[in-house]
Amino acid sequence: MRALLLVLLILVSSPALAQVRGVELRVPRAFGYFLGDLVQVQADIRVDPGFTVQRASLPKPGPVTYWLDLRTVSVEERREGDATLIRLRLTYQDFYAALDSRTLEVPGFPVTIESGGKGGLTTATAQIPAWKIGVSPLREVQPERRDDPAEYLLPDGRAPRLDPQPATVTALGLLALAALALVPLARDRAWGPFAPRRGRPFALGLKALRRVKRKAEGEARTREAFLVLHRALDATAGRRLLADDLALFLTAHPAFRGQAENLKTFFAASRRAFFGRETEAAARAFPVSDVEALLVRLAAAERSA
Amino acid sequence: MNTLRPGDAILTDWREAATRFEREIAKAVVGQERAIRLVTIAIFARGHVMLEGDVGVGKTTLLRAVARALGGAYERVEGTVDMMPTDLIYHTYLGEDGRPRVEPGPVLRQAQDLSVFFFNEINRARPQVHALLLRIMAERSVAAFNREYHFPNLQVFADRNRVEREETFELPAAARDRFLMEIGMEAPRNAEARRALVFDPRFHDTDRLTEEVGAGVLDHDRIGAIASAIQHSVRAEPAIEAYVVGLWEALVRPAAAGIRLSGLDMERLIQGGASPRGVAFLVRAARVRAWLEGRDWLVPEDIRAVFPEVMAHRVFLEPVYEMRRAEIVPELIRAVFDTVPAP
Repeated sequence: MRALLLVLLILVSSPALAQVRGVELRVPRAFGYFLGDLVQVQADIRVDPGFTVQRASLPKPGPVTYWLDLRTVSVEERREGDATLIRLRLTYQDFYAALDSRTLEVPGFPVTIESGGKGGLTTATAQIPAWKIGVSPLREVQPERRDDPAEYLLPDGRAPRLDPQPATVTALGLLALAALALVPLARDRAWGPFAPRRGRPFALGLKALRRVKRKAEGEARTREAFLVLHRALDATAGRRLLADDLALFLTAHPAFRGQAENLKTFFAASRRAFFGRETEAAARAFPVSDVEALLVRLAAAERSA
Repeated sequence: MNTLRPGDAILTDWREAATRFEREIAKAVVGQERAIRLVTIAIFARGHVMLEGDVGVGKTTLLRAVARALGGAYERVEGTVDMMPTDLIYHTYLGEDGRPRVEPGPVLRQAQDLSVFFFNEINRARPQVHALLLRIMAERSVAAFNREYHFPNLQVFADRNRVEREETFELPAAARDRFLMEIGMEAPRNAEARRALVFDPRFHDTDRLTEEVGAGVLDHDRIGAIASAIQHSVRAEPAIEAYVVGLWEALVRPAAAGIRLSGLDMERLIQGGASPRGVAFLVRAARVRAWLEGRDWLVPEDIRAVFPEVMAHRVFLEPVYEMRRAEIVPELIRAVFDTVPAP
């Protein structure tokens, strides 16, 4: 019986309660409750406009009687025509272990409604009436005699077999996605194929030097050529290399140790060209052709390293 | 071109004197070659020096040895919480006849002759004392007894230990900026020097130890003139000028220079500092270093050799990073040198 059953309709018209126009209780069914069942109740209270329910007056979730617990209480208020409808939704739980079918009374309770007007606070009480539910036993009082007490237990209900197919497909799909996500991660972390290849600064320097030779003339040419070699050395060392750092650089990059003497001459010449105001002497000590030859040898060492 | 021009014979002589000076100091202070070199640079750059380090690493011994080798009048005060600026200038006491007397204090006692003023534990003194010191350092003059006292040769050496923070007063930025260098001293790392320091009784008596240092190796009266000659004779090429400006820019705006340090917000790391005066000091010290190395032109290595000591204390970090200054600033300076191209 799924239809809502109108249990009770009370219309009270005493002057003191004039503000409460009516209280209506609705339950899905009035009977057929077993031990542990939840009992849903809906209480509609119609009141004069401007009245609201006083939250503190609502029953608190907890035991109501020894066989009944109140689980939840919720309130909603809305206008309906010229009245305000206060709807309480109550969920009880029945703990009565019935031996036969019987009717039990759920106690009622009062709810205070209030209206804060100019003249002060007006309160009134709406009485939610007691109502009855029919409870039934779960098992027979005197079951058939059995030898094995375990047989008193009924077999478990049969659960349907679950199909693992969709779960497997989903798992495989997600696995594939995870594997795909590795690609951007590897790119971000420069793993595997994304690892940066060791640059070849000296080979690049050679190219740059050829450009310099085409473009620059005279002192500028020497300086530019020196700069090309400096930048290639900086790139190889990973930092700016000064003349005094040459020994450290050769320790860190033993591949270029064969060119130690040439590099030393170069740094001395570069110092004079840039800081000693002797570009000409520097150009004689270490001409552009020497820079190129040194770059060629360094590039060769770089490839074999 | 690794020697000076013959016309600069005086400078060459003085360079030898400077080497002798370093040798004399090294007799008393072992394993601190870098600190000795930096102090020598500071002397010839006419800059004030702050020594910083743990207790008992030889800060005071170094300064006493320097004062002795430098010659000239020497005064020393110990910073205390209750010290007032007047304690430096005036010495007040009750005479034998019971009358109060006011006589010149430590700063004025040697009058104009004062060449080394040694302030021990400077961070124990109050800001009022720092303010007076600021004036003495910046203007080399002080007003007392209704007249101005000038100290043309004065050089201030100060030391502070960085272990304690209780009852100490951090030096104001303006006072720190007046110091040419802040030299950090650590106990020597090499095992032999350590053994000698601990077991050789020679190092246990500081007074006798400093007496071993030859007195007056340098003629302190003439250092001013020599210092100025050095500044005029050591050339800086446009390339080095560009390099210094590049370093300066990268230090103040590291984010724009492409410097990234892990765990730091480079945009907000630096609050300010690295004043033009600081960079001028840097070049001054670098020139002295070039001269000591026997060159009359600057190379990037000169800048790099003095950069941390001259610039580190002039950089002001955001307060969040200030407590980690000791690790952040050296790393920043290293990154700056790794980034700015030279030439």
